[in-house]
Amino acid sequence: MKAGLIFGIVLLLSLWYLSFSATRLDRLHHRVETSWANLDGLLQRRAAIALELAHSDYSDPASSLLLTAAAYQARDASIRDRSFAESGLSGALTLLQSDLSTATNPAEMALLRELSELTAKIRVAIAIHVDAVSSTRLVRAKLIFKLFRLAGTAPLPMTYDFEDDAL
Amino acid sequence: MPNLAPLKIGIVCPYGWDTPGGVQNHVRDLAEYLIAQGHDVSVLAPAIDEDALPPYVVSAGKPIAIPYNGAVARILFGPIAFARVRSWISQGDFDLLHLHEPAIPSLSLLACWAAEGPMVGTFHAAAKRQKAIFAIGPILEPVIEKLSVRIAVSEAARLTLTEHLETDAIVIPNGIYAEKFRNGIAQPQWSGETIGFIGRFEEPRKGLSILLEALPIVSRFVPNVRILVAGPGDSDATLKTIDPQLRSRISFLGRLTDEEKANFLSSVSLYVAPNTGGESFGIILAEAMASGAPCLASDIPAFSSLLGDGDFGALFASEDSADLARVMIDLLRDGPKRSALSIAGQEHAKFFDWDTVAEQIFSVYEMAIVGSQKVGLASDNRNWSRLLNREGDNS
Repeated sequence: MKAGLIFGIVLLLSLWYLSFSATRLDRLHHRVETSWANLDGLLQRRAAIALELAHSDYSDPASSLLLTAAAYQARDASIRDRSFAESGLSGALTLLQSDLSTATNPAEMALLRELSELTAKIRVAIAIHVDAVSSTRLVRAKLIFKLFRLAGTAPLPMTYDFEDDAL
Repeated sequence: MPNLAPLKIGIVCPYGWDTPGGVQNHVRDLAEYLIAQGHDVSVLAPAIDEDALPPYVVSAGKPIAIPYNGAVARILFGPIAFARVRSWISQGDFDLLHLHEPAIPSLSLLACWAAEGPMVGTFHAAAKRQKAIFAIGPILEPVIEKLSVRIAVSEAARLTLTEHLETDAIVIPNGIYAEKFRNGIAQPQWSGETIGFIGRFEEPRKGLSILLEALPIVSRFVPNVRILVAGPGDSDATLKTIDPQLRSRISFLGRLTDEEKANFLSSVSLYVAPNTGGESFGIILAEAMASGAPCLASDIPAFSSLLGDGDFGALFASEDSADLARVMIDLLRDGPKRSALSIAGQEHAKFFDWDTVAEQIFSVYEMAIVGSQKVGLASDNRNWSRLLNREGDNS
């Protein structure tokens, strides 16, 4: 009788714990999605600015070509190749920015200012996303989460290794 | 700051509002800055005197004074406080919660536990590796990971976070109203070959004793040197410990108002921060730099990173009064070097101006809000509640 009672309590507690863990993981997945949506939006905006810069008078045909190609690649890349493509765009932008430091045209100056503000935001967004992904992966690697398949069918979040210094 | 749609922001301060402290000041300045930008801000904090609170602060009850982490912390927890936190969250209808020090057993931790939705946490403290914190790590982990974004006020605070809780943070420094300090007016009674010190000088970790130990040597080389100590405390008890011949060189000014502080910092020849540790940011050094005082600080991690490893202020080996004396004599005799430090420091202090800092914080807010609903009460067991046929609001 007594053993049955204890067994029951333990069973209830473990059920509660499992449910608590599942909620916890669900929340983490949500965090990954939110931070990715945020980063994705910022990167899209950056690609748009890159295209605008490429079409401005200031960039010579060669860098214009390079930028346009890089921006389109970044936009079309699948999530798996995204960080590679975005690093390419970062590189192209850095090249152009060192050229454009002599820009005098107010429209170009405004574009460049917007770009540098955006770059600062992207840095933060990357840090946030990387943190969300790594804590999710850490939690999912725990035995109990694997054993009871608490992640369900949710795909394992991709690490996004954006080169910080390429920005 | 881009003036977009005004947000409804809830800020939680874990420490008693009535007692002065770095976190409280930070929360107050941030709240007032955001209100000035047109946002709707509510601050939840423990308070002793509920009538003396500014209109934007909601009291969660009287704080309890407990020794925590080497100092007496005025914090608040318990079932009644938890109920108040929950009702503040559910009635507030916030777009975002900003929790300060959510790893301290106080209101912020309770709010983090109770809420769901966009939450930003700011970590102020820097601590050495401690077994105790490692032990509570697994308990804190599921709570802390609910935060959408973590902010650390300094590199030291960030390291503490990564070491103890295995989570990363974005570094955004504490803010100061740099302009107030830039406009300080030098006062003749505080000028001359004067050394400034501000802080609760009775606390050993503030390091006044190290500065006083250096005084005999310094006075031999710089005959007119004087030490001006500002801050609350029992000056007689401290004076008794000093060589009678040197007592005339030390003045205790008591607590200064903000305006007096700006004038004080603009007057002294050298500002010395001899703290021996327990410091995470060093707001007073940022203020001293903004007012143009040449700074000299111990080389504890927070200070050396704040002073750019010596670029924006001189450093000495922490807890070494002989080294402090050496650097002090060097600086007091070298006017051009002092003014170079003063100029470099004032330029660097612009990074800590509220205009810059609040903009960074606000851009973090925007990122935390993207794609999320408003803040609501958490149901930590959604599945469990569903099982019991309670739709996840468990109120």
